[in-house]
Amino acid sequence: MADRRTHRLRLWTSAVTVGVILLAVLLVPPLVQLDEQAVDLSRKLLPPSWDHPFGTDDLGRDLLLRCVYGLRISLLVGLVAALVATVVGTAVGAAAGALGGWTDRCLMRLVDAFSSVPHLLLGIFVVALFRPGVWPVIASVAVTHWLSTARIVRSEVLSLRTRPFVDAAVSGGASRWRVTVRHLLPAVLPQAGLAAVLMIPHAMWHESALSFLGLGLPSHQASLGNLVQNARSSLLAGDWWPTLFPGLLLIVPTLAIAGLAGVWRDRLNPRRRSELML
Amino acid sequence: MLELDTVTAGYERRAPVFRGASLTVAPGESVGLLGPSGCGKSTLARVAALLHRPDAGRLVLDGTEVRAWRHRAPRELRTAVGVVFQQPRTAADPRLTLAEIIAEPLRATGRRAEADSRVAELAPAVGLTADLLTRRPHEVSDGQLQRACLARALTLSPRWLICDEMTAMLDASTTAALVAAVETYRAETGAGLLAVGHDRVLLNRWCDRTVEWKDCLPPKETR
Amino acid sequence: MNAADPTVLRALAAVTAERAEDAVLSVRDLTVRFRLRGGRSVAAVSDAAFDLGAGECLALVGESGCGKSVLASALLGLLPGNAETSGTALLEGEAGAGPTDLLAADEKTLARTVRGRRVGLVPQSPAGHLTPVRTVRSQLEETVRALTGTPRRARRKAAEDAAERAAFPAGHLDRYPHELSGGLAQRAATALALIGDARLLLADEPTTGLDRELVDRTVDELRRHVDEGRGLLLITHDLAAAARIADRVAVMYAGRIVETAPAHRFFGPAGPRHPYARGLLDALPDRAFTPIPGMPPELSALPEGCAFAPRCPLATDLCATRPEPHAGVACHHPEHPRA
Repeated sequence: MADRRTHRLRLWTSAVTVGVILLAVLLVPPLVQLDEQAVDLSRKLLPPSWDHPFGTDDLGRDLLLRCVYGLRISLLVGLVAALVATVVGTAVGAAAGALGGWTDRCLMRLVDAFSSVPHLLLGIFVVALFRPGVWPVIASVAVTHWLSTARIVRSEVLSLRTRPFVDAAVSGGASRWRVTVRHLLPAVLPQAGLAAVLMIPHAMWHESALSFLGLGLPSHQASLGNLVQNARSSLLAGDWWPTLFPGLLLIVPTLAIAGLAGVWRDRLNPRRRSELML
Repeated sequence: MLELDTVTAGYERRAPVFRGASLTVAPGESVGLLGPSGCGKSTLARVAALLHRPDAGRLVLDGTEVRAWRHRAPRELRTAVGVVFQQPRTAADPRLTLAEIIAEPLRATGRRAEADSRVAELAPAVGLTADLLTRRPHEVSDGQLQRACLARALTLSPRWLICDEMTAMLDASTTAALVAAVETYRAETGAGLLAVGHDRVLLNRWCDRTVEWKDCLPPKETR
Repeated sequence: MNAADPTVLRALAAVTAERAEDAVLSVRDLTVRFRLRGGRSVAAVSDAAFDLGAGECLALVGESGCGKSVLASALLGLLPGNAETSGTALLEGEAGAGPTDLLAADEKTLARTVRGRRVGLVPQSPAGHLTPVRTVRSQLEETVRALTGTPRRARRKAAEDAAERAAFPAGHLDRYPHELSGGLAQRAATALALIGDARLLLADEPTTGLDRELVDRTVDELRRHVDEGRGLLLITHDLAAAARIADRVAVMYAGRIVETAPAHRFFGPAGPRHPYARGLLDALPDRAFTPIPGMPPELSALPEGCAFAPRCPLATDLCATRPEPHAGVACHHPEHPRA
């Protein structure tokens, strides 16, 4: 079946790409004892070569090394922010869905209020409150990204809450807390997990946008957004490599993670069960 | 006594599904509630199981008037009534094994220690074998799953049992087996039964008396 | 009369051969296996064989999970990818054309010439079968266009005719499915099934969840279509519905048809001959109301011999070998008709 073959190809390409990226960001910095900040003005703006596969930047720093460090920071920000946003979103969504009534109304109006402000604006507002650093950026991403998870979880919980198995649990003496923790949350966790994975690239883009605007991480620190920002001037001079490689490193993980998440979503599909029709 | 007194219930305040239903089940008695689908029999069953707050009317359970519903109802009152629903597929948490489904009421009420022995006791009573108990709902047939749902309703030894179209999806042999299991339990414990359904032949055979929901007008029994 | 008598057997064989010749549907050795991960396989249907004539209703009865619905899906080519089918299911050809083997036909043939046109499906849950966002009329007209290619002007009339044939009131044609009662939704679904004027109707549990009165009305209407000369394969676990309209009854147990009998004998005083079929009837609330002990075996781990033996009161050592169908009964100890 051709369908199954493309499916498998997608799974493997995505998995291998994500694997390589993870290995690179985890192993390269501790193993390769090179300083990504080492300035060598004699070798500035060299095009890609064997010595410098990604070329060098306007201060003569090796771009491959800086890209790996940049990806490391961006991934870290993406992962932590997605995790925080998912935990907050799931908690708020589950509380709104399971408790209903006034709690639900208040929480969802809060979500609406947050959604009504443009995300980037809200993000900029948060980072502006603190000194530049990793944590304000993470907070900024988390604040703007928990909303969709809260909505997804709430709607799932609402639809589950009317199922007879919840009635049966209530009749069996289960408290509201127990129904939520034992029957409702486990049912929505796969969905929330999927949303979290899909959020990682989104958070990376958000971080890059902030850094590109000069509001994210300190500009000497190698993050993907800072790399693109620093390369802007050289791009006008016709040097393409300082922009291309960080840009690619933003796009490739996004596609790979989306591929993995797609496979996961197919797995979640309850229709798989009906293959037997018994 | 399980007394439903002029109960009006529904899902929208302005348009209740039925008005003024009255029905009494004595201890140890089995009452069949007969009627066409779509008239609110299931809603009445949910009211009787403390799962749905009626718009008006009273439910009196063994002399105590029920004033709070669902989670808010006192646990002793809620667990005094066991319920079995029509569709086992939607009435069982798809992530739990059959043994966990049956033991869940004990775990939910903090009596985890008794779970294993109670499951071992109930499984043969409803005709479930040990290998089925480790499976999840999607790995068993409708009939087997409904057996587990009946066992769950019996786990806390309720004084009242409400079977809402329990056998509508099942074949003749499984129907007879489940009814036999309910009757064995009632003979041992003296529990009362409210069986809701549309199969006149079945309810006449099963219950001491049947009450009709004619032309979508609920029963109005007076005592 | 002794069923094992060679002359009787010959006569029976002749009857079956004749049946097969003018049958709308003739099924032989239909077997369906599902391959599962880990090399296991599920024997959902094994060696099913039956004939269905024009103007005849055959009820296929059995417990849920015995393979009835899988058989219906196999006939329509609607099984999932991990299913393997073998055997033949010959569907009578149109106007002199040869029969079509439903199990060998490719998806294109099934989609363009069989489903809806030569086999009409009356679904299990009409509410789920109808599109919720469109009126009954627009769904009927669409099906008329897709199946018969009627010109635009005539479609309205054709849709109304189809509704009338299924006794669907014309005044309700502009309603949406959720505005219909269960009975009317079932009629709307039947009207859709009848548009292609198929000679064979396949009804898969058409009465599940309906109340008794509605069951009676639904099956009576199906019977009316049979009396117009269609063949009806009624798949159901509702013995009362089967007793009401079937001409013949086939009992399925653990994927095998264990008995085929005329309905009047099956439900009449003589009764069925297979112990499982007897047990099934005895479980009815208007009969003994006693269940058959035990539960059906797993379709993934069927015993070598008779699948019913572990639950059978008559089982002997002989039952360790599989009984071949013999005069309509697959049993080593068929019971003699009750007096």
